[in-house]
Amino acid sequence: MPGPITVFSAKKIITMDASVEEATHVAVRDGIILEVGNLDDCGAWGPYTLDNRFADSILIPGLIESHAHLLDGLLWAKAHYVGPIDRYDPAGTLQKGLTNNAALVNRLREIESRMTDPTKPLVGWGVDPSLNDPIAPITRLELDQVSKTRPIFLLHASCHVASVNSATLDVANYAAIKAPGVLRDASGAPTGELREMAAMLVAVRAVAADMIGGSTDAAQFYNFARVAQARGATTIVDGGGSTYFDPAFLSAALAATAAEDFPARIVAHNNGITVPGADDMIRFAKALEGKGNDKLAFQGIKIILDGSNQGFTGRLRPPGYLGSGENGLWNRAPDELRTLVPALHNAGLQIVAHCNADQAAEMFIEAVALAQAAKPRFDHRHFIVHGQLLDESLLRRMVSLGIHATLFSNHLYYWGEFHRAHTFGAFRTAALNPAATALRLGVVVSAHSDTPVSPVDPLLTLWCAANRVSATGRVFGPRERVSAYDALKMMTFNAAYLLHRDHEIGSIRVGKRADFTILARDPLAVDSMAIRDIPVHGTIVGGRVFAAG
Amino acid sequence: MTRQIPVTVIGGYLGAGKTTLLNRLLAEAQNVKLAVLVNDFGSVNIDAALISSRDGETINLANGCVCCSIGDNLGLALHDLAERPDGPDRILIEASGVADPAKISHYAESHPRLALDSIVVVADAETVRARADDKYVGDLVRLQLAAADAIVLSRTDIVDAETCRAVRTWIETEIPGARLAASHDLDHGQMFVTRTFESELPLDGAALRAALAALPADVVRAKGIVRLIEAPDRHSVLQFAGRRWSLEPDTAEVGPLERNRSVIVCIGLAGSIDLARLDACFAGVLPSALPAALIDELHQGALRS
Repeated sequence: MPGPITVFSAKKIITMDASVEEATHVAVRDGIILEVGNLDDCGAWGPYTLDNRFADSILIPGLIESHAHLLDGLLWAKAHYVGPIDRYDPAGTLQKGLTNNAALVNRLREIESRMTDPTKPLVGWGVDPSLNDPIAPITRLELDQVSKTRPIFLLHASCHVASVNSATLDVANYAAIKAPGVLRDASGAPTGELREMAAMLVAVRAVAADMIGGSTDAAQFYNFARVAQARGATTIVDGGGSTYFDPAFLSAALAATAAEDFPARIVAHNNGITVPGADDMIRFAKALEGKGNDKLAFQGIKIILDGSNQGFTGRLRPPGYLGSGENGLWNRAPDELRTLVPALHNAGLQIVAHCNADQAAEMFIEAVALAQAAKPRFDHRHFIVHGQLLDESLLRRMVSLGIHATLFSNHLYYWGEFHRAHTFGAFRTAALNPAATALRLGVVVSAHSDTPVSPVDPLLTLWCAANRVSATGRVFGPRERVSAYDALKMMTFNAAYLLHRDHEIGSIRVGKRADFTILARDPLAVDSMAIRDIPVHGTIVGGRVFAAG
Repeated sequence: MTRQIPVTVIGGYLGAGKTTLLNRLLAEAQNVKLAVLVNDFGSVNIDAALISSRDGETINLANGCVCCSIGDNLGLALHDLAERPDGPDRILIEASGVADPAKISHYAESHPRLALDSIVVVADAETVRARADDKYVGDLVRLQLAAADAIVLSRTDIVDAETCRAVRTWIETEIPGARLAASHDLDHGQMFVTRTFESELPLDGAALRAALAALPADVVRAKGIVRLIEAPDRHSVLQFAGRRWSLEPDTAEVGPLERNRSVIVCIGLAGSIDLARLDACFAGVLPSALPAALIDELHQGALRS
């Protein structure tokens, strides 16, 4: 027995469908789009309830965040955001960035004054001295101004560095830790800056054990979806590090996402990151096929080839990193990739490959070529995540092998100047994340935030792809800017295609799921530089309305 | 001073022979409880007869050694070992084939109960030169070799002597100061030569430090418990591994009339260590007579206590 019909009216519905571009009304029944057109067209299906609350708004297909990490939700649940970048929290409130140490100390004092248990550590995340003005380290001297007795632990945005106060140094016995990542002043005393996990580990275990992975906390799933939903996403990808193969974690995830009011769909990649061997990867992925629910699905298997460009650990082709000529680190050995990639390919899995720099991408392309030569597969939709230094040659090889990509367009805004000055130099920075070339050559590309690395905000990501502007206002590689329409397609249909879900989501078309994003203004009509500032009124997921604020 | 567990990192590119080395060390360990942290149990091939029990992430051997899976967090696995009440005498970490062993070695200094002993990098005599020129991994293979306190050449039994010699020469040229051993004589007794220096008299700290700074490159490891003229009321602990060394006073006081013999053990790679040069290094350290002033001091100290 079909359910009741709701017709949503809008000032304009942008369908992103290849055949029918615009409408004013969409009829929804049982979470599925029944009709798209005007009110009369929708009325052809019989009695309906007209929902006019978005009559003055613009309805677009639900925005899709194509690469993010559940860790974002855990951080919101377990720690206070105190970073320099503006971020919306799970309540939909804008947390303004704290861009100098004085502001940071003030904010931490506020938080500290509200804490009742005097022994509870104060744990924060998101700090990034490189984005502060002035650039200054965050040491125990600053944090001791907040408290000398309560342990304080601040995880940096990179997740590779932490700043702690004297109380944490004492409780974790840093006097006895010789790891070189424990920075010291001239007298030999620790400064409170801990670089890399070997230096951070005793502090993490002593005062922030919550941050260690594997938590089954229900709030992480809700927060993860909610932060994305508040910025207009209806689907968000959990990019592969989570342990859904662990029964306790899976049941926590299923229970959390099964709630009627769970605010977004999660598409989770299978874990090819912490699972060591191909046999286990395939076994776990196969066991999870079809194990999800309406809001949780498993798709693709994520593998990591190299590190991060801003951390100087991406694998570059010559001449390497600017100035030093050095290169980054492999996450898996190329010799292993030459057997792992074909094994996953042969098992019928879709491979999602983290390749930050160009040599990693080249290696992946080579491995897929081996796999395709041995066992050709059509429509596998293997795709590269980040692919920041892809060029026309690599993209053309990708086209011939059927490999697609989601680009890290946000990098240009947040780290464009850093890359120009420290990692890649002028040319390679201008050529980063080449969305226009990729689209022209027929690669299906999306773009992503990689939250918690940068904030999940699909309109901001879309804006980055369309404008390629740094935070300082410099345009990098104007030829690689895409039109607002193409940028919107990247964040909707193309993302759905990468997730093998373009038959269900990614455009507004009869028969697809009723996932919409409601905007105050038309992103295709406003100046492209204004797109990121368009207010999000809310989302509709499977016909159910979720307010933004 | 709480006894620290020495940690050795075993590095080297994928397929270099790390696991073979570890299997062998585990099987042949005697009177020493080794704990080995490996990336993948599947590749460890421990003789079933040696296994006494197995639970989840740990395989217990009859000879007291354990083999543990690193899982997805090396630091946690290592700290777990450090905090076991019946902790091991020595920990060996199998670094991943693409890891920079120097970075992994930072974990050996990430806990108060752990101390970095040395970095051993395994290189396949048959393939290491080609790997070092590979466009994808050449820089990594060289980085790994350069991080080594000792390089163990594996598969020297399946390449001919000429190739073996050429590889050794190549490593010595490419990695200045490299210390080399071959794995076919990995049995400790054959692979390493031990030289012990002893003295019944306190040593001159300045002379000892100068000797340590000038030790021949072939000394892989040295350790000692010494009594120094400058700190006669306690023992000092000497540690030397690769290019690093330390000489630090022990916290426990030692009575002036207690036995105060100093012992320093140096371990070098068989066939390459120059024993005469080593002896010459320590010649200036071992005093010929006990200074009269020191005798007085010791006696006064004895009277005070």
